[in-house]
Amino acid sequence: MLLSQGSMGWKLKSSLYVITGAIAAFLALPIFFIVALSFGSSRWLVFPPPKWTLKWYEKFFENPQWIDSAMTSLQVALLTSVIATLIALPASFALVRGKFKGRDYLYSLFTLPMIVPVVIIAVAVYGVFLNLGLTGTLFAFVVSHVIVALPFAVISIINSLRLFDKSIEDAAVICGAHRLQAIFKVTFPSIKPGIFAGALFAFLVSWDEVVISVMMASPELQTLPVKMWSTLRQDLTPVIAVASTLLIFLSLIIMVMAGLARRYSNR
Amino acid sequence: MYMTLSRKKWREGTLLIPILLFLCVFFLIPLAGLLLRSLTEPSFGLQNFEQLLATSTYVQVLSNTFLVATLVTVISLVLGFPLAWCITLMPNGWGRWLLGVILLSMWTSLLARTYSWLVLLQTSGVINKTLMAIGIIDEPITMVHNLTGVIIGMSYIMIPFVVLPLQACMSAIDPMVLQAASICGAPARTVFFRIFLPLCKPGLFSGALMVFVMSLGYYVTPALLGGVENMMLPEFIVQQIQTFLNWGLASASAALLIILTIVMFYFYLKVQTDSPVSTNTGA
Amino acid sequence: MSLQTNNGTSSHSPLVCLQSLNKEYGNFTAVDHINLNIQKGEFLTFLGSSGSGKSTTLSMIAGFETPTSGEILLNEHSLIQIPSHKRGIGMVFQHYSLFPHMNVRDNIGFPLDIRKIPKAERDKKVDDILKLVQLETFADRRPSMLSGGQKQRVAIARALVYEPDILLMDEPLGALDKKLREDLQDELRLLHKRLGITIIYVTHDQDEAMRLSERIAIFKEGKIVGLGTGKDLYRKPPNAFVASFLGSSNFLKVKVSGPNSATFEGQTIQLDSEHDVPFNQQALLMIRPENLQVLSEDQATQSPIQTDENEAFGTVNESVFLGESLTCSITTADGSLVTSKSIATDLPEIEPGAKVRLRWKVQHSSVYSKWERSDIEKDAS
Repeated sequence: MLLSQGSMGWKLKSSLYVITGAIAAFLALPIFFIVALSFGSSRWLVFPPPKWTLKWYEKFFENPQWIDSAMTSLQVALLTSVIATLIALPASFALVRGKFKGRDYLYSLFTLPMIVPVVIIAVAVYGVFLNLGLTGTLFAFVVSHVIVALPFAVISIINSLRLFDKSIEDAAVICGAHRLQAIFKVTFPSIKPGIFAGALFAFLVSWDEVVISVMMASPELQTLPVKMWSTLRQDLTPVIAVASTLLIFLSLIIMVMAGLARRYSNR
Repeated sequence: MYMTLSRKKWREGTLLIPILLFLCVFFLIPLAGLLLRSLTEPSFGLQNFEQLLATSTYVQVLSNTFLVATLVTVISLVLGFPLAWCITLMPNGWGRWLLGVILLSMWTSLLARTYSWLVLLQTSGVINKTLMAIGIIDEPITMVHNLTGVIIGMSYIMIPFVVLPLQACMSAIDPMVLQAASICGAPARTVFFRIFLPLCKPGLFSGALMVFVMSLGYYVTPALLGGVENMMLPEFIVQQIQTFLNWGLASASAALLIILTIVMFYFYLKVQTDSPVSTNTGA
Repeated sequence: MSLQTNNGTSSHSPLVCLQSLNKEYGNFTAVDHINLNIQKGEFLTFLGSSGSGKSTTLSMIAGFETPTSGEILLNEHSLIQIPSHKRGIGMVFQHYSLFPHMNVRDNIGFPLDIRKIPKAERDKKVDDILKLVQLETFADRRPSMLSGGQKQRVAIARALVYEPDILLMDEPLGALDKKLREDLQDELRLLHKRLGITIIYVTHDQDEAMRLSERIAIFKEGKIVGLGTGKDLYRKPPNAFVASFLGSSNFLKVKVSGPNSATFEGQTIQLDSEHDVPFNQQALLMIRPENLQVLSEDQATQSPIQTDENEAFGTVNESVFLGESLTCSITTADGSLVTSKSIATDLPEIEPGAKVRLRWKVQHSSVYSKWERSDIEKDAS
């Protein structure tokens, strides 16, 4: 009765709905607010804006620093996504298919970067890269991002591989396909949505990464979040609202893509 | 026979080489190096830990961290519960929209969301203006660069991490059990506290632990929304390194944070009994 | 045991030959040195409860499991060192295991594509087999758009398209409901007749084994404990386990008193043929419920006992009318519990508590000198 709408008392039901509505608004509000502000004319972010304008967008696209950092972000996120997926894929196979002892421990190790606070990973990697003179390089960005993106790729691929019925691969083998051939022709196409989702998560993690990136950045090479961060610490210019809106837009696209991938896999 | 067996082992080993190599070189060794530094800089010994636990401002940072993590956990549990409940009640239609809002908020850039709160909460911000317009307050209240800002911003970020496990737990509850309880004569309040809430406990527990652990190590939101007086541990670590170049003290704090996190996470794994990798093999 | 070396009826060398095949997982023996010959064109079923080793044996023939020791011969060539994909064996899996991202035609064409068969020939073969399994109209559908029975037929077509020497089937009908399962069993039997292909079929369902196969191998704890046609195994089970596993049975404890006789509850009864039980030792007498005739005292006096019949006395506990049949639970004079089952046409009502006589023909009983408690307990399977 507390879990079926029909038999719930109307008092309880309506108060639950009102409270939930308020909390949902609390969750959604800041996102819509920031999008609205990016079109507002007020330099001091007055809301509701006195006038609507595109001038902050002009400022954003005119400034090579914003564009460069966005391009760096894209580059880093793409590389991170590809590398994390390529490393995670064979490891996931070994963990799901292998019969050796200690697989649970290895899984914990692979997901450890998700558990250890990012700040600590940032500081640890920074300590090493600083000594090696690697900070401020693309290499440093990608490597440090792969560390935190890896668990997402591993989890996503392992989950899809666990759900995949191995006898389908066996069927291909008994039909005459070599094990590797069967994996490429049958298993990969079947778990493609999982691999794809893992790559998307890895991309998003890298794209949104702040703490590590701030440590790895140099004035010459920085990602979009780093640029936002350093700008934000100086003042609250509406240009950040523009950058935020673009980030939100991208997250939305990627979410829809991940959703489609999931729907495709359920078919 | 033996050959095929060892060949198979060897193949599995090869598949693990890239990830093990990567994590060792870029994750485990740097991490070990950092932790080692807490004992060796500036000289070998426990002096960094002693300093950390003896200096009152540093202890203040520690207690601040715990206070914030606890408050954030409680608030996000309270706010996450009705959300999870509603999504479970309406798996289609509105429930799906609610889930969409939660996922969108979760995957929206952290900086964007924090920036938004920064603007919303500032003295001349919308929230202060609204409150003054309705007449609740006469003067704008300061909600950023203090504990209030940190708590609001972090609870906001953590809610999805409560809702998702909680909702999974709730949807596994058989509604018939609750019906059975009310047939037995229990009023709605009793059913809620005696049956529903206890059945949600695993979800609440894992959500709470997750949020608490994440809150302990959060950097971005406290750094932007918080003030200097109520600094948290992650910020303290970065400050020690970037401003004071005091790697010893920073490493000691990092060690403390890691130990806390891993102990907490050990409990978290204890709650979840399922093995994440082994498949359920049929006979 | 003699039955394991039984080569069937044909004198040709067998198509598949398992020799002392053994599989161990650590300390657990999944398959315990089994010997088995399978003739060309035969439909053989591995029957057993889960964990009896039947699926492991099948997996070893397919090459998914490596034997710990022993030999598997196909056409007199060892398969042990040959990987699965080169064995040329067809297999239908428990959940069909169709390739979800390919349509029916490509699923069936997959083995031919792997073998790099020219396109024209490939298409013709696929079309032919589609016709054979009557799926021409579904050729362009994805597996997810097919019913259970259709998926089943696609799986069979995919396994047959490359003309394997032998077709393995691992509980392929387990996931279907009863009605559909029976239809497909008939279909499968006809297909086997028509094509004359050799099939090894694994199931835990004794009805299915009976309905489908020419020979049944009954597995228990990694060993084959019964091998023969369904009829022989049912009528003359080689041991108490097979007797209780296949159908239902009554077990009576008797004391052997001569080459063809024994005492049961103080009475002398006749045994069928020879037995290896030493005199004066306990033995187990098995009679199927349907072979146990229940007569009231009146009926018994009216129809005198035949020379090939035995008789015992009992009291009715309960009789249950089941439509086509009537089952009776009866306690014998010394307290053994037996069940009888008779066709329920014009039977007189037998009241609980009534004194009755039990009669059975000598040739309908089997006698065993050795048995385990678990063999004869009702829930043994």
